[in-house]
Amino acid sequence: MKHKLRENLTGYLFISPWLIGFLIFTLYPFCRSFYLSLTRYTIISEPKFIGLANYKMMLFDDELFWKSLWVTVRYALVSVPLVLVVGVGLALLLNINVKGMTIFPTIFYLPSIVPVVATTSIFMWILNPQVGLVNRVLALFGVVGPAWLTDPKWTPWTLIFMAIWGAGGSMVIYLAGLKDIPIYLYEAATLDGASAIQKTRVITLPMLTPVIFFNLVMGVINTFQYFTQAFMISKGSGGPEDSTLFYALYMFQRSWKYLDMGYGSAMAWALFVIVVVCTTVIFRSQRRWVHYGH
Amino acid sequence: MATNFVRKNWKALVSTVLILPVLYMVATAKMPHKQYPGREKVVFWHRWGGYWEKVVQRIVDRFNASQNDYEVVPMFTTGQGSETKFMLSTIGGDPPDVMSMGSDSLPSIASGGLLTDLETLMTPAEREYFHRVPYDAIRRTGQYRGKTYGITIGADLMGYYVNCQQLREIGYDPDKPPKTFEELVELGKKLTKRDKNGNIIRLGLNVDDLATQAIAWGGGFYDRDTNKLTMNTPANLACLKALAEQRQWVGFENASRFWSSQNTGSSTGAWPFIPGAVSITYDGQWRVDEIHRAKPDMDYRIWPIIPPAGGKPLAGLLGGNFMIIPTSAKNKKGAFEFLKFWSGVTHPERAAECFVAGGWIPLSPDVANAPAYQKFIKENPQFQTFIDILSGPNCQSKPSVGYLQYYLDQINRAQGTGLRGSKSPEDALKDLEKTVNTELKKRKELGFDD
Repeated sequence: MKHKLRENLTGYLFISPWLIGFLIFTLYPFCRSFYLSLTRYTIISEPKFIGLANYKMMLFDDELFWKSLWVTVRYALVSVPLVLVVGVGLALLLNINVKGMTIFPTIFYLPSIVPVVATTSIFMWILNPQVGLVNRVLALFGVVGPAWLTDPKWTPWTLIFMAIWGAGGSMVIYLAGLKDIPIYLYEAATLDGASAIQKTRVITLPMLTPVIFFNLVMGVINTFQYFTQAFMISKGSGGPEDSTLFYALYMFQRSWKYLDMGYGSAMAWALFVIVVVCTTVIFRSQRRWVHYGH
Repeated sequence: MATNFVRKNWKALVSTVLILPVLYMVATAKMPHKQYPGREKVVFWHRWGGYWEKVVQRIVDRFNASQNDYEVVPMFTTGQGSETKFMLSTIGGDPPDVMSMGSDSLPSIASGGLLTDLETLMTPAEREYFHRVPYDAIRRTGQYRGKTYGITIGADLMGYYVNCQQLREIGYDPDKPPKTFEELVELGKKLTKRDKNGNIIRLGLNVDDLATQAIAWGGGFYDRDTNKLTMNTPANLACLKALAEQRQWVGFENASRFWSSQNTGSSTGAWPFIPGAVSITYDGQWRVDEIHRAKPDMDYRIWPIIPPAGGKPLAGLLGGNFMIIPTSAKNKKGAFEFLKFWSGVTHPERAAECFVAGGWIPLSPDVANAPAYQKFIKENPQFQTFIDILSGPNCQSKPSVGYLQYYLDQINRAQGTGLRGSKSPEDALKDLEKTVNTELKKRKELGFDD
């Protein structure tokens, strides 16, 4: 018994650097932010308890809260499935054993290791409506390209375009998942006379579903925290016409620009609940479409 | 024994040897250090980078050389987020002694009790002078609820920069500004050039800034006498309508495309007015110094805001850099000495040399009339327009409210939707009023007292 206790203590001692960091830098701010969401807190003065007033205002009196939520949900609904399909598609193509194919995963993965700020800056030039590369190329075919960054109808698509460019990050995970599929399943299917499309539909995709599931969950969580690109493109305003006013950007504005940290904390908790609900729904759905084991 | 220790811990030792120099370099890199041992240190945060950082350094050097008690140590904090850094440093117990802050942030930070009432540091004579001499709009901009929390070291005003050569090409005398906004718009139309696809290759007139322009229409978004916000008023509506009509003629998307193809960064010479891409453009006084450095022989004029028929001349809405001293500053006395040196609360002749170093709007007529400033105006006669605006009756300060940043953002949103045409000017202002009033109601219910 004593030995067991000592063993436990030793274990906790070993993980204590992480444990202390977790308690101080994660758990405490997490709990503290909930308390702050129930207060009027301007950072520069002491928090004052106001009950659920921040939540009430947020849900019933703040048009921009709903607007920013819609901008984020709309982006998630389009970009997450699109990036998923592109990622899986690329992985399937790159899984073909052809000479020189090893270089392509590196090329497609490269955008993922470029800092987001640098990527966004480059995209802002490429998509410049008058002198940008994309509209110049479109002009060669007689097409007048849109104002990608200043027309509220197009800015969401610009951001989706940028998200697809970074699909190489998830592609590498899909590729690893593909390599993990037992070869004998394909051999058996070949003996049964299955075509390449049938093999993809019946073996590859179902066997890849755990990886797809993982990327889906991460994609949804990341989308709800989408900030940097929108901040850069709109110079922090969320414009034009609130078309890039993502939830996290609006939360930042409220907290740091307007010094309403209590309201910002309430928004953060609402975001937490939304992410938990979405993740739970996805987790619940996995029984129907995710295949574990052979 | 020692050998055993080294053998057992060689990895840790090698790591330490490698990491220590890096830590030393990081710790000592670019850390401002004292040059005058024995003097009291005054930490000064400012928001001027690049070329401007050297200008600030020269002013600091002059102050340090002018006396034997204090040494000001300047630190550049990037403009965006500098107020956040200030708040965090204050909460963390290590604020600067003095800081140059954007005037739009000043009321909200002052309302939190983080700033020193600067009049408490003044002698009675200084206080009397401060209330009597400086320009009204400048003094008021640094105030919140009647107390002075900021004093300018470089205020900002806006006007129209006019390319004389391009105006003469169409037979217009740049020394005779249009009498009404309508005439200005017509002039802009004549100066605009488009390619065969309708893309703008030269923009005749660039104008926006509803918050300031509305003053020329007899409106504005704040009534100082009643301390009330004024949003959906006939004058503001007329102004937004006029601006929207002008933008409609240019084409909102056309204008956006044109601007996004221009380098609108802050670097000297990159400003589209200098290469002639825009004939008449609305911009701030800091451009005078930029033109002086990038294209000193450029023939240009600065016109004040052109009012509509029957409107108010020389309209202006003041903002810019204001020096503050945190309540928790360690060396308030030294900080205030530096503030006085630069701003001209005392010795306006000496302060004039600081203001001309960066081409900044002065605190008072005494600074503006000082020999150094007059020499600067003689070399840059266009700058006189800003002094005229400042001295006029229609130069206003921004609302002295704790939610100023929010309010200005909402005015910009209304301007954006109104100019773009996605909402009529009437609806844009109605929505502005509704949104802001809802926010104010919310703030009141939550107990904000600003």
